[in-house]
Amino acid sequence: MSAALPANRRPMIEIEGLHKHFGAQHVLKGIDLSVAVGEVVCIIGPSGSGKSTLLRCINHLEVAEQGRIRIDGQLAYRDEVGGAFRAHSNREISAVRAQVGMVFQHFNLFPHLTVMGNLIEAPVHVLGKSKEAARQRGRELLAQVGLADKEDAYPEELSGGQQQRVAIARALAMEPKAMLFDEVTSALDPELVAEVLTVMRDLAARGMTMLVVTHEMNFARQVGSRVIFMDHGMIVEEDAPARIFGAPREQRTRDFLRTVLDR
Amino acid sequence: MEIFNLEIAIANFGPLLAGLLMTVELTLVVIVLSLVFALLVALGGISRFAPLRWLVKAYIEAIRGTPLLLQLVYVYYVLPEIGIRLNSFTAGVIALTLNYSAYISEVYRGGIQAIGRGQHDAAAALGMTGALAMRRIILPQAIRIVIPTLGNYFIGLFKDTALCSVVSIQEVVFTAQILAARNFQYFTLYTVVGIMYFAVSFPAARLVGYLERVTKSGYRRRRS
Repeated sequence: MSAALPANRRPMIEIEGLHKHFGAQHVLKGIDLSVAVGEVVCIIGPSGSGKSTLLRCINHLEVAEQGRIRIDGQLAYRDEVGGAFRAHSNREISAVRAQVGMVFQHFNLFPHLTVMGNLIEAPVHVLGKSKEAARQRGRELLAQVGLADKEDAYPEELSGGQQQRVAIARALAMEPKAMLFDEVTSALDPELVAEVLTVMRDLAARGMTMLVVTHEMNFARQVGSRVIFMDHGMIVEEDAPARIFGAPREQRTRDFLRTVLDR
Repeated sequence: MEIFNLEIAIANFGPLLAGLLMTVELTLVVIVLSLVFALLVALGGISRFAPLRWLVKAYIEAIRGTPLLLQLVYVYYVLPEIGIRLNSFTAGVIALTLNYSAYISEVYRGGIQAIGRGQHDAAAALGMTGALAMRRIILPQAIRIVIPTLGNYFIGLFKDTALCSVVSIQEVVFTAQILAARNFQYFTLYTVVGIMYFAVSFPAARLVGYLERVTKSGYRRRRS
């Protein structure tokens, strides 16, 4: 997979100077990042480095105090008028979130709804799709993630790997412009990781724009168009996977990779 | 000492049963009203609008800090002095609904807060507004959690309606008092009343136990 920085392609997610504090803790210290259409950008780094927080800021699940986020060219979550910020209404914020799919470490499926219920909930109640059209699309997506026979099951009846694949299908049901993956295999038993990664590889091959926070170095190496190493709330290094894993420039990157790859 | 008089019991069974039906009717009306009102109170209590939260807090504390009996007589005897005249049934319904809603709203609140952050995150990430997520994702799960607790409160309510005898609602205790004042068969009449209460509460308690098992067993596909 070629990994030149895609300067020639339209950016889908653009982040400029993002800062985030939790109390006195400065967890994002000025993040600049751009993800082009169809790119798969993998973020690696030690826990507590701010990777997940960055992802959550992109979806406004955390509110960054400073910086700009653009989704498909549109300034998201707040406007800037003469240097002052004006927060968007909840409705505007929800409308942007609906364009960006997110998959979580702990799946967060809705336990009171069947698999199909999970898939059609937002398309019907947020996008205003008809139930029949949403079900139709839901069946296609379940087939895509290999769970065509599970539409009437409840999440609790599924394995972790199956639940996570449903969660991916649920996010895709919104026809998102980009997908955010927040350590989606970290809570899985080792034997269930592969089935989820397979679905993600397939999604990448279909051209989905993806931002993937992961501890799966092989996935980052093989599927990533670009890999970002984060530490202490900063992007330390970003490059093509072959270079990050083959010849990292920064000492911190080398140290990190030694600890995770030696295991 | 009097003994249980079967003839008296049979002779008075009709009016007592009519009283029991009034007790049940009163209970059902208050259940329906307080299920709805308490939900509004609970949502007010977690509102982002601070004055609404304070109002809810004050209401809940006022209700919890005073006896139900006082609340009943207050609605029935004191409100008329400021021009609000209610018949006894309406007064009983209002007092019981206000009282139970205060407690039940706290039950709802506990249920809502028991739903994890992940559910809110997932709903938000799918573009659902807070109100939509509350209605479609949080409340259905929260209500399921609190069903057994609500059941126990409503069994308590069924018995508490006896207090409405003081505002002369013709429920079963008040009926027995009137009958006993005529024939002095306290032992028989009040024993029948006790059996009637038990005959309703006991199966209701079993039903709550069953609901508790069902709601704790998780969400499963119905086997057909």
